[in-house]
Amino acid sequence: MEPQDVYYSKAEYVETASGNKVSRHTVLCGSQNIVLHGKVIVQSDAIIRGDLANVRTGRYCIISKNAIIRPPFKKFSRGVAFFPLTMGDHVFVGERAVINAAIVGSYIYIGKDAVIGRRCVLKDCCYIEDGAVVPPETVIPSFTRFAGNPAKCVEDLPECTLDLMLEFTKNYYQHFLPLSA
Amino acid sequence: MSYLNQPDYVCYVCNCGSLKPISKIYFCRHCSKIRCGYCVCQEVDSHYCPNCMENLPSSEVRLKKNKCSNCFKCPCCFQTLSTRAGHVPLRVVPADGEDSKDVKTTPKKVYYLSCSLCRWTSRDAGIPDQSMATGGWPEQENPHTSRINTLIDYHKILASIEKQQSERKKFRPKHPYMQIAMFRITSAMVRKHIGHPAKPTNESTDQPSPAVASTEVEELPTDIFTKPVEITKITTLEQRLQQPDVQTENVNELRPQHRQLLVRRSQRCRVCEHNLCKPDFCSQSAKFKIQLAAFYHVPEVRIVTCEPLRPGKSSELLLKFCNPTQHQTQVVLLPLDTPMTPILTLVDEKEEVKQDNAQQGSESPNLLPSIVRQVPVVEETKPIKITANADVVLPQNCLILPRRDDAAEYDDTGDTHNFQDDPKFVIWRKGNKAVIKLHVTPHENIEENNNQPVVIGFVMQYRYVNTITTLEHKAPQKLDLKVKLYLTIGNIVGSA
Repeated sequence: MEPQDVYYSKAEYVETASGNKVSRHTVLCGSQNIVLHGKVIVQSDAIIRGDLANVRTGRYCIISKNAIIRPPFKKFSRGVAFFPLTMGDHVFVGERAVINAAIVGSYIYIGKDAVIGRRCVLKDCCYIEDGAVVPPETVIPSFTRFAGNPAKCVEDLPECTLDLMLEFTKNYYQHFLPLSA
Repeated sequence: MSYLNQPDYVCYVCNCGSLKPISKIYFCRHCSKIRCGYCVCQEVDSHYCPNCMENLPSSEVRLKKNKCSNCFKCPCCFQTLSTRAGHVPLRVVPADGEDSKDVKTTPKKVYYLSCSLCRWTSRDAGIPDQSMATGGWPEQENPHTSRINTLIDYHKILASIEKQQSERKKFRPKHPYMQIAMFRITSAMVRKHIGHPAKPTNESTDQPSPAVASTEVEELPTDIFTKPVEITKITTLEQRLQQPDVQTENVNELRPQHRQLLVRRSQRCRVCEHNLCKPDFCSQSAKFKIQLAAFYHVPEVRIVTCEPLRPGKSSELLLKFCNPTQHQTQVVLLPLDTPMTPILTLVDEKEEVKQDNAQQGSESPNLLPSIVRQVPVVEETKPIKITANADVVLPQNCLILPRRDDAAEYDDTGDTHNFQDDPKFVIWRKGNKAVIKLHVTPHENIEENNNQPVVIGFVMQYRYVNTITTLEHKAPQKLDLKVKLYLTIGNIVGSA
């Protein structure tokens, strides 16, 4: 099935020179620590906690409504330290998802209401189903689909996942259009 | 993407008769045929640990029983355990006569395993903390190790005896007068003959004592009916099955388990035994050394929109075609009853296989030695279970799709190629993609309320340029291939 056009009001979104489309109704704490690498969509009420540590995303990332991106912390004998959160290219983050991962690779789909625990590592080409809860410090290998609470590997992904994800995020960006009215 | 999170609306029929979405089928360039997961050989390419991503050679994997030696999983919730560091002040007992102020308590770092999901720690199980961060954890001993080992050894001996006997049979002359056959026995065979005692009575000394069934069962403890049961302290069935050799009853006897390894698979065509898909050796990368998934070779069909379907009434259906190859292709849509060349050739295929077996090793393109190879089993063609319940008006003219051009998306000048398309048929075109309009008429007998989806089917003929150079064909070959497609386009809305 072909993706449908998603319309947004021009007044709500800010478009940068590199093609990022960021809603005005988001909470971007510590914006000097947030790097969006171009053609990234950040939808309304998303929270990116750049004040804790650096957050970097690749190209064509989609951060849906009410998603929370929060760099992970580690407890040491003297207090806690926050670590940067890096995200690769072509990552989709569903609505109300909470991401505390250390590394999110490329070509990844994170479903609605998914929770990615502290310091998780998501390798390239993996799929987190809607509502999955990934426990802290888990490594998600490539070409696996995780579901459930606690999230478990349920199936392998097809070999062409890379291009499927690439097409999906590019299509999403192309179909994310300003309301002309 | 829709292939990952939506039902399979568009299904391709594999040569074996199974219906698969394009993301799950392969295209063998050597046979020019579609292969699905059932008609390829699945081979284990490499073993890796899903936690530390270490690649292990298969010999080591067997030795370690498919488990990672460094990573552990929680015995309660089966998630990965992480190593935690804790400080334990080392108390040195002051010796007699010395002032206790002189002795400093030196903090020493100790390590323990902890589960971040269920908060189980190795301290709960009473496993002593380690002074090293990795390794050194006590291995759980199987109580029956010695018995298992003697049985394995015994069966190894049996296997070798059996092998010798079958070898001897092979060299027995078929006819008593064919004495010449006797001379074919090599010196190595003779030595084996003499070296190994043939009589099984000699081996019987190594035979382990057979298991004895006992009629006496341990008596139940006297307090079994009086003691209150604490469910939280008894292991669940799942927890016991995760450690089949011990199967502890109490939660505090659970020990961390080694993490099981995962495999990366490569696929091989069963007919021509060429690799269809081979992942990169590195378990971390998502790239492939050989990638013959159909997604990169066969035109992709997608449903764009479909008008509401009513029995007996014509509705518009928009389909999007995409050419993934580097060569221009032309697509012709044919009715379902078009003779499919693959069905005819499947008979040939089996003959080919037979031929191939006859001349194994001599000129077949296989990379594996003939001993390792198994005789390829070709799937029997299964009947197609789905039936089309709607008529579709197929266009007569063919659709030309230009080659895939990754740079085209950055090109603002627009499409340079001029196709003389019929505007009633092709309604949109960009790069290697085109949307066409078809008219669908569901059959009269479909009722609205029985939730029967409307299915259409057609045969797609597409031009495929095979760039593989063989001895016979030096130049790229142009082939017209056919594939049967079934599309689930929706449900009936309202009556006629």
